[in-house]
Amino acid sequence: MHQGITRLLREMAGICLVAIAIGLAWNHQLLHNARTGNAPPGSTAPASAPRGQSGQEQQVVPLPLGLMQVKEFLDRKEAVIVDARDKAAFAAGHITGAVSLPLGEAAGRLADFAKRYPSTTLLVVYCNGYDCHDSHNLANKLIAAGYPTVFVFEGGFPEWQSAGYPVTGGTP
Amino acid sequence: MTTTAGKYLSTIVRIVLGLVFLYAGVLKIIDPTAFAGNIAAYRILPYFGNYLVAATLPWLEAICGLLLIFGWRARSAAAIICILNGVFMIALASAVLRGLDIDCGCFQQGGDKTSAWSALGRDVVLLAMALSLLGRGRRRSP
Repeated sequence: MHQGITRLLREMAGICLVAIAIGLAWNHQLLHNARTGNAPPGSTAPASAPRGQSGQEQQVVPLPLGLMQVKEFLDRKEAVIVDARDKAAFAAGHITGAVSLPLGEAAGRLADFAKRYPSTTLLVVYCNGYDCHDSHNLANKLIAAGYPTVFVFEGGFPEWQSAGYPVTGGTP
Repeated sequence: MTTTAGKYLSTIVRIVLGLVFLYAGVLKIIDPTAFAGNIAAYRILPYFGNYLVAATLPWLEAICGLLLIFGWRARSAAAIICILNGVFMIALASAVLRGLDIDCGCFQQGGDKTSAWSALGRDVVLLAMALSLLGRGRRRSP
């Protein structure tokens, strides 16, 4: 009986070790990028280049975050919410407490942004919802700029507004 | 007759459970980043921990699925699946208790959203299947 359990545990440990070893080997590049927060090697091209998820080379992409999690981050002041839309859209209405960093101006303003917010800051980027890719593009630029923890709120401003959460600017 | 029927039933349960876990594992292996995003939504692990689990857990699911399908080391695979299901259920319950409205991330990454409650129900069924395999294996062992 005791011998049987020992054998079972040994087999379980063996299966787990094999799975972990294969998983680490298979995803070593992804894990390296996730740990260092660096863009993948060879990706010195502009971040606007199209990026597929099933490409040969795995890369760290900003992780998606849901409405409730963004609200919690904001309420607890655990993250800086970054608005990737242009200035006019930001002025017309944005998530209360969000910081404006339009994608089009990111290249010129990232240095100033980095002075205000240290690289340890947890960032949540949003734009105009699921059809808008500015948030993903800006998040990739922020990761490349040395911010290892960047999330994307894919529902963006429309989802936030329709949920009735605090909004600044614009008409109700 | 009863023993034969039980044997067939056990084989069916083993193969179905194996196929479910192989399918779940392969879908996540294809897109580990999306799976990391789903894990991150639970807000349990640190940022890198999400990637680490997303890199390794799908392989464990797929290997356990294969072992169950082929019936080799099936009892060990069933035991691991019991533990995995227990962990999944704790994570889902914690998401429900914290009021998190998230996709369970169990199968298709980025597909239709599966609520935590339906995922919990599914995990109960899968846990029962795995436990039945474990129990049967124990009765057969001397």
